[in-house]
Amino acid sequence: MATPVKDPLTGAETTGHVWDDSLQEFNNPLPRWWLWTFYGTIIFTILYWVMYPSWPIGNTYLKGIGNDITYKTDAGEEKTTHWNMRALLAHDMQNGAEAIKQQEYLAKVGAASYEQIAQDPDMSSFVRSYGVGMFGDNCAACHQSGGQGVVGQFPNLVDDDWLWGGDTTAIENTIRHGRLGYMPAYSKTFDETQLNQVANYVLTLSGEPAVDAAAAAEGQKIFQGQAGGCYMCHTKEGTGMHAQGSANLTDKVWTIANLPAAETPEAKLEAVKAVIHNGVKRQMPVFGKDGRNLSDTEIKVLVAYLQQMSGGATAQ
Amino acid sequence: MAHSAALSSEQYNYDIVKKFAIASIIWGILGMTAGVYIASELAWPFLNFDIAQITFGRLRPLHTSGVIFGFGGNALFATSYYVVQRTCQARLAGGTFWPNFTFWGWNLSVLIAGLLYLQGFTQGREYAEPVWFVDLAIAVVWVTYFLIFTVTLMKRNQPHIYVANWFYMSFILATALLHIFNNLAMPISLTSPVSYSLFSGAQDAMTQWWYGHNAVGFFLTAAFLGMMYYFVPKQAGRPVYSYRLSIIHFWALSFMYMWVGTHHLHWTAIPDWTSTLAATFSIMLLMPSWGGMINGIMTLSGAWDKLRTDPIMMFMITALSFYGMSTFEGPMMSLKSVNALSHYTDWTVGHVHSGALGWVAMISIASFYHMIPRLWNTTLYSMQLVYTHFFLATIGTILYITALWVSGIGQGLMLRAFDEYGNLAYTFVETVAFMHGPLVARAVGGLFFLSGMLLMAYNIYMTISRAKQEEGVPATAAAKA
Repeated sequence: MATPVKDPLTGAETTGHVWDDSLQEFNNPLPRWWLWTFYGTIIFTILYWVMYPSWPIGNTYLKGIGNDITYKTDAGEEKTTHWNMRALLAHDMQNGAEAIKQQEYLAKVGAASYEQIAQDPDMSSFVRSYGVGMFGDNCAACHQSGGQGVVGQFPNLVDDDWLWGGDTTAIENTIRHGRLGYMPAYSKTFDETQLNQVANYVLTLSGEPAVDAAAAAEGQKIFQGQAGGCYMCHTKEGTGMHAQGSANLTDKVWTIANLPAAETPEAKLEAVKAVIHNGVKRQMPVFGKDGRNLSDTEIKVLVAYLQQMSGGATAQ
Repeated sequence: MAHSAALSSEQYNYDIVKKFAIASIIWGILGMTAGVYIASELAWPFLNFDIAQITFGRLRPLHTSGVIFGFGGNALFATSYYVVQRTCQARLAGGTFWPNFTFWGWNLSVLIAGLLYLQGFTQGREYAEPVWFVDLAIAVVWVTYFLIFTVTLMKRNQPHIYVANWFYMSFILATALLHIFNNLAMPISLTSPVSYSLFSGAQDAMTQWWYGHNAVGFFLTAAFLGMMYYFVPKQAGRPVYSYRLSIIHFWALSFMYMWVGTHHLHWTAIPDWTSTLAATFSIMLLMPSWGGMINGIMTLSGAWDKLRTDPIMMFMITALSFYGMSTFEGPMMSLKSVNALSHYTDWTVGHVHSGALGWVAMISIASFYHMIPRLWNTTLYSMQLVYTHFFLATIGTILYITALWVSGIGQGLMLRAFDEYGNLAYTFVETVAFMHGPLVARAVGGLFFLSGMLLMAYNIYMTISRAKQEEGVPATAAAKA
């Protein structure tokens, strides 16, 4: 029925079948290189099956031979097992050249004081290298990768002005336990006149010219008296309290009201008024236990890294 | 030639083929436009304008469903209905109603699924995002498709079943199996599009990737090989290189593909032995895949000169070359050690697109340029535009995949780099900043490819409208014949 046809161009024979007027197939053999490469992949596969966990049999599976991994369990016992990815991870984390180097540095930094770290160039360099990753992965999302923060939202960490205290213990506490920054909204407490008076006074605290000097004088009374009660957190002098996280209003560093962006005295006044009117609610998450679960050593590296970022010296 | 084509148009159901072909081109433009837009969002995130409906997460499934099921699916319906009729010398089964049912059922399903994605309704399963009631509709359409195709095969006027039909058949069967099992889910209520998968944990992940990779294997590979096996020898005017190779690689491909899905889950919470089997079957899949490439490219032996003169042939050979390249890249990436570098990076996305743009889209485009003039019994409006399209598509694909090699391999290397203290050298955000340049180049590559599609739409539109004019003037048609 089907007659093979010899092709004048290549000399190959067709199968003799024809579809749709012209479709035919040559009966060429499998290309040798194709066949041998296919066999090669099968041999590769069989070797792979012998060496690594492969076929399931009942409730278990072929474990692979010649590929055992030795590692230490969490309990500290040495264990040898067939190849598996969890053992491989444990083994690499315990024996990898990079991992060992890192662990040695971490142990050294963990045992050192902040002064020792700052004075030792090698440990300082390690802190810079490890800290940039820690900071990038944990802090930079809010405080930005340079630590400069976002005015009004996330504090600047490189300006020597610390809401919750800038010594190492305070920073450690801030990272470990998180912080809740709160200032009540005065929208219901102050009428427009009082708001204007207090805001004018607050401007003068940091040496800004008051838009209305008389109002500023009235504002001082409200600030320091029961009508406003601002002094309870910010102190009578307006210097703030680290224990409250209340801002120092006298240091010309504005972390919430965006004064640097305001060009005229009136715009500055409006910026301050908005903060008093709306209040402030900010939260820094917990990075210690029950939060991000950073270890003591990791927190220490972060604090030391912050010291480097903010210029080395840390106010005590 | 024109004489026999005129006969064909009465002997065969061409109406349904025309509908699917046009729908395919429309979906292709929509889906690729969405693709270029989300690629631009990745390069310039402000482009999401804070509108939930056009964020990356909502538009991405619209892009993938639009190009895979809209463009690819309609192309497969069109060409399979065309090929099965012509190679069986039999009119399509199911009269006019059932083929039309598959057309409207399929396209409405993709459209409704896509609109629901924009509202945030998705199953969250890659390439299986449509919600449960759309899945049910697709299942009904698919069974109808299977019956139409099978009954047409059974009433063939040819003693043998042509190889292209084996591939189409395996695609239809496997897709039914994959679609039904991966979408087993319990709706939270009959009035809600939300449902829960019947599987959980690692089994759920493995079911999903059994589906996901075989969608690549049977939907995007086997089916388009069916297309290749008809249109390449037709366009070349030469016999298929080797019947024997086609048998061996068909069965090897069908057998191997079913095992490899778990290679998408290397280094996750799955049993190690499943990882091994997936990696090794992927390696064994290399040569069965290449069998199709060899059979396609070698079909040109004796007609190599066509590569100088025929842009449709250039599309076909380039498609087969990209097919060969991505089916080499795939098994390499499925090795655990390579995967540790490539996984979760843009390398994967680039790999998919070397298959999707280079292979699937280019072979479909070539098939359309061959088939559409024959459906309307005319010739192409402009071969010059096909040339231009070829270069736009090729430059676009190469730009796209090389950009994502740089982005993906670069990010992979950065994520595993250590400094002299044993610390990771880069933060995640530094790797993202690095990717910006390549992501811009990728969006430009996509734009090249999309502009080629627009050119094709214009060329096809002019071809069809000219054919309709000629139809009104019988004398012209007679003169051409």
